[in-house]
Amino acid sequence: MSAQNSAGIQTLLDAERDASKIVQKAREYRTKRVREARDEAKKEIEAYKAQKEAEFKKFEAEHTQGNKAAQDEADAEAEARIREIKESGSKNREQVIKDLLHAVFTPVPEAMAAH
Amino acid sequence: MSQIHALSDDQVGQELRKMTAFIRQEAEEKAREIEIKANEEFAIEKSKLVRQETDAIDSAYAKKFKQAQMSQQITRSTVANKTRLKVLGARQELLDDIFEAASAQLGEATSSQDRYKDILKGLILEGFYAMNEPELVLRARKADYDVVRQASEAASAEYKEKTEKDVKATIDEENPVAEGSAGGVIIVGGNGKIDIDNTFEARLNLLKDSALPAMRKALFGENPNRKFFD
Repeated sequence: MSAQNSAGIQTLLDAERDASKIVQKAREYRTKRVREARDEAKKEIEAYKAQKEAEFKKFEAEHTQGNKAAQDEADAEAEARIREIKESGSKNREQVIKDLLHAVFTPVPEAMAAH
Repeated sequence: MSQIHALSDDQVGQELRKMTAFIRQEAEEKAREIEIKANEEFAIEKSKLVRQETDAIDSAYAKKFKQAQMSQQITRSTVANKTRLKVLGARQELLDDIFEAASAQLGEATSSQDRYKDILKGLILEGFYAMNEPELVLRARKADYDVVRQASEAASAEYKEKTEKDVKATIDEENPVAEGSAGGVIIVGGNGKIDIDNTFEARLNLLKDSALPAMRKALFGENPNRKFFD
């Protein structure tokens, strides 16, 4: 009888022990999931950051290129216009000098009195 | 067997089995609850962390992009400015060159005495009309005193003719115009306080401002951007 009792009690104790193992396993699972949340989040975040960085680098590269193109174009345009100026200069220089000297040597008495 | 045992061995066994099963079932239900909760927490925590950080990343990159764009605009604007300055510099060089050349040729007026006298008369007359005073002082190069005196007499005569007023212009021999000047005359009035500098250098200097619009038009053509012409 008491042997039966203690066998029964033992069975129940074993059952309790197994039960607590089951619950314990679940608890460990929960802890693991918390850690996994952080790790996966970190991975996703880094991937996102890398993608953004790549976009940015592409943007910068495009614009550096664009800037250089603009600079070259501006230089070429400046060259062309300076050439034009020099041409016009040599063509019209003499006449302009003549006109200036004419103005220096031609007093206009009446006009001065007007102011 | 004692009467106290209400259950048979079999029944005890059965009860035990029921109880162990129950204990097990309870444990598994609890474990399931814990697992479900764990997965929920996982999802919430992960999405919270991801959203927090991606928001921060987004705003940091928005700033970066904006700065990059601004710096690009600044560069473009600087380039445009530099170009404009280069072109303006070339224009200015040309203008300066022309004025220097003109300056070097100022001496040609004095090559003919008659022409010079005529010019001087006109310059002096300009002074007469502008000052509108009965007594004025003239300053000129030492070498020009004679011709200036003659021109001054002719000018006074014309002045009297046109305005019916007398004007007496004397040469201030204490203060000649510098030797290096190409010629011309200075008319001083207002008790020595006002002077009209009609030397050739001074006249050319005035043209450096006043002649620019005409010069620019002659050299560089019309300005297509100009809107006001008064």
